[in-house]
Amino acid sequence: MNSFILIITGIIGAILTYFVSEKLKQGAVRASALLSIPVGLFFYFFPQLLDSYLTKNIPLVFIGATFIGMVSSEVKVSYIKLGLAGVLFSIIYIYNTNFFEGYGGSLGALALISLLASMGISVLFSKNEKLSQFISKIKASFFNQKK
Amino acid sequence: MNKHKAIRFLMVSTFLLMQLLILTLIVKDNYENETFVAIAIILLLAFILFYGYKDIDLHHEEYAYEKLLVALWVPVGALACYFLNISMGLGGVLAAGIIGTIGSFIPNLHKNSNYLSQLPVPIYCGAFIGMSSIEVTPSLSFVVTAGIITCGILILSKNIFLGIGGKLGTIAFIGVTISSLIFWITQ
Repeated sequence: MNSFILIITGIIGAILTYFVSEKLKQGAVRASALLSIPVGLFFYFFPQLLDSYLTKNIPLVFIGATFIGMVSSEVKVSYIKLGLAGVLFSIIYIYNTNFFEGYGGSLGALALISLLASMGISVLFSKNEKLSQFISKIKASFFNQKK
Repeated sequence: MNKHKAIRFLMVSTFLLMQLLILTLIVKDNYENETFVAIAIILLLAFILFYGYKDIDLHHEEYAYEKLLVALWVPVGALACYFLNISMGLGGVLAAGIIGTIGSFIPNLHKNSNYLSQLPVPIYCGAFIGMSSIEVTPSLSFVVTAGIITCGILILSKNIFLGIGGKLGTIAFIGVTISSLIFWITQ
């Protein structure tokens, strides 16, 4: 259940930041930073509301996911790609190594990994689509010749 | 290979090595805990990541460097965030959020100024250094060292991963890791 909540947080963080940054034209830095403040404040003032695991990790997952949403519109990412990157980010975060705990920027590094992986997955799928179209073309021509 | 090409190659390899290091350590940790599903997911991610590096246009052909006067705001952001995070006890997320928000309003001071419009990025990049926990950043000198190293990396990596989210965080992470190494060796 906790993992599920963190994954949802990741998706919301990534998509909301992109929306504020690109659609509301606030710029990437302000979108990410401004959205993190209410989340940080909430858990700063109400540390007992949720269990300690969620209180500690929801703000971190949220700010990490906002780094994904800082992507520029020139890169041409869709909301689906951002959502997928948010999911990947949360999964990597849940299994993250203790070695870099407390290192500044480690969330950003995870965000970059998950965004690149999400873009890689979509390229992989679009290529497969081309491949399948190519195969169906060959099939069609083959059967036409037979007739 | 000319100088610019060599610098870009160095920067891209540093980024890639850092990501590989993180993924390897995650696999190692999960192997010890016998979480094999996690290992499968991370290995798949590593494969896709390499594929992404090969196939997505991330490294722009032009060579450009960030100006020193702009990048020098990284240590400033780092110190300000460190103060809020550790000295005021606000925690990393809140501290980085506040510094980033203040930084993002700096261009509004003088809307026609080209210089001011470039400042939010280095300030937010510096704020990530200041997010580090007290165990990682024991002293102000550590924050300043990490800030200066990050400042150098930011200057050199202006035209790689252009507009990709997480770039600033990774730069800050490389800065913090290198300065941890320096402090570990010298102490």
